[in-house]
Amino acid sequence: MKSKLRFADTLGLAWLGLRARSGRTALTSLGIAIGIAAVVAVIGISASGRADLLAALDRLGTNLLRVSAGQGILGGPAELPEDAPAMTARVGPVEAVSAVARLDATVRRTELIPEVETGGLSVVAVEPDLFDVLGGEMAAGTFLDAGSSRLPATVLGSVAAERLGVSTLAYQQMVTIDGQEFVVVGIADGLQLHPDLERSALVGFDVATAEIGEAPLSAMYVRVDPTSIDDVVEVIPTTVNPESPDRVEITRPSDALAAREAADAALTQLLIALGSVALIVGGVAIANIMVMSVLERRMEIGVRRSLGATRGHIRRQFLTEAILLAAIGGLVGVGLGAGITWGFAAARGLPVTVPIEALFGAVGVALLIGTLAGLYPASRAAAIPPSQAVRGTR
Amino acid sequence: MTSTKAIPLSSRPVDVAIVLSLADVVKEYPGPPPVRAVDGISLDVEAGELVAVVGPSGSGKSTLLHIMGALDLPTSGDVVVDGNAVASMSDRELSALRAHTLGFVFQEFFLIDGVSATENVAQGLLYRGIGPDERSKRARSALERVGLGGRLGHLPSQLSGGERQRVAIARALVGDPAIMFADEPTGNLDSVTSGEIIELFLALNAEGSTIVVITHDHELASRFPRQVRLRDGRLEMS
Ligand SMILES: Nc1ncnc2c1ncn2[C@@H]1O[C@H](COP(=O)(O)OP(=O)(O)OP(=O)(O)O)[C@@H](O)[C@H]1O
Ligand SMILES: [Mg+2]
Repeated sequence: MKSKLRFADTLGLAWLGLRARSGRTALTSLGIAIGIAAVVAVIGISASGRADLLAALDRLGTNLLRVSAGQGILGGPAELPEDAPAMTARVGPVEAVSAVARLDATVRRTELIPEVETGGLSVVAVEPDLFDVLGGEMAAGTFLDAGSSRLPATVLGSVAAERLGVSTLAYQQMVTIDGQEFVVVGIADGLQLHPDLERSALVGFDVATAEIGEAPLSAMYVRVDPTSIDDVVEVIPTTVNPESPDRVEITRPSDALAAREAADAALTQLLIALGSVALIVGGVAIANIMVMSVLERRMEIGVRRSLGATRGHIRRQFLTEAILLAAIGGLVGVGLGAGITWGFAAARGLPVTVPIEALFGAVGVALLIGTLAGLYPASRAAAIPPSQAVRGTR
Repeated sequence: MTSTKAIPLSSRPVDVAIVLSLADVVKEYPGPPPVRAVDGISLDVEAGELVAVVGPSGSGKSTLLHIMGALDLPTSGDVVVDGNAVASMSDRELSALRAHTLGFVFQEFFLIDGVSATENVAQGLLYRGIGPDERSKRARSALERVGLGGRLGHLPSQLSGGERQRVAIARALVGDPAIMFADEPTGNLDSVTSGEIIELFLALNAEGSTIVVITHDHELASRFPRQVRLRDGRLEMS
């Protein structure tokens, strides 16, 4: 002869208790739902962002170097020696080199716009192979080739195109560079590692020297064997400028992305901390409501004890109720968080990535919170002597 | 023992027939000042008896019922329920005793709101580990026994006071307890409904149930075959 409560019946009792107070159940689990949703959304969004970043790094590669002359002696822009690209190309692990020259010219939509209003855009002379070296994409049209490099033709960076109001090449578009009309043959995209090029009008070297003026080299883009990047970084300054190697600046554009990722990680941690606070508050709310519930349900406890419930059964009933309450909040929160991630990623055009561990982790955390929140109220419920409980409030 | 020996066991199984035995039971609530709610009561209840416990308010009726029903332990004295000496039992053992051999009915019914009459009655078997189908089946037949066969799916809020108390009675007897206790079962009912509930107890007793009913209403108590009068925690000889 034993007193025995089946597991399914324990769950049934907990569900019954929550269903009988559905409004309270909804409000109480809201705290957990918000906390879990926040954490899942933050993890999901940052994971989606990271996936996007990794995809970008994959496509753009981390083996690209930008070599430029530092500041000139008088503070003006310095130039690279004319033979720098050729010298650099001779270094073993260097796979490709493409030089650019920043021109002293403005680009405007039409002649009618005053010269001072350049919109922060610049004009850069480039080689036709630049695009392959950078690994960019064309949003429209084609990049400059040997032929169009000699003509008054230009390719606009995505930002420059936007500023100049060139969104389509369905019909012929012209811009004014240094007072002359240039045909827009292409709009470049995928240059997010090169903000300076994104806000430039790119023209061929031939047309630049012929129509605009001197085109001293300002930078080179160097694609390197990924295994020898450090060696190349070491030899380039002396190769490029043997007299004053310390004036040569080398950057790795992909580092900027890594830095952005580090900043994102800090923000993510902050948001997760905030979400955790919401979870703790949610847990306290559950504990609070459960303590109240135990006081209100003295009679029920009394009846159950008279029907044969042991102290353990009463404890289990209330503990399960608290856990179920948190689990409901947790599931709603996971759904909300995944939805927020999906919406955010879709709006930003990011790949939707919600780590499955985050989902299970979130539900696990909710269950843990429910357990912790339910322990005290449940043991209080179990501690009420049956004879006191059936007497009601005394 | 000597007296039972004289009579053949087959005709009078005395020891087996006593389902509840109190010997010099005292219950003192710690003060200050300490209250002796039950002050030395000895009492036997035989199987098949219907006993009324009568007494004024505060005379210790509920306290006595809690002790008889293993909901509380006496300060001193012996309580034997269905052959089990209650004093030496753990919480689990006492709970098992309540689950399998005792049934309770309270003045305020204590039904679960928002759950059908059948499900309420089925709760009476919950702590025996019986499956839900079997519980419902037995709950329905218990409801029929108390005359509520037509109210199986009703919620407590859709039932009258008398009907609610019948549901509570069905919950107490659904597990066929060796003894059933009712504490002021008619306390919240009008006199006509109270009379019907008393009739129900008489009918159940006629079917073989052992029942102890507490009431402060002498008129209702007078309809029961045996009455025990309580005053200041002691039995009054009738
Ligand atoms: N937990 C307790 N602590 C202290 N005293 C108590 C406690 N429970 C009951 N008493 C006292 O014990 C005495 C008997 O109480 P009990 O409830 O058994 O009386 P009763 O006969 O059931 O009364 P009523 O008819 O009003 O229900 C009362 O004086 C009461 O105040
Ligand atoms: Mg009482």
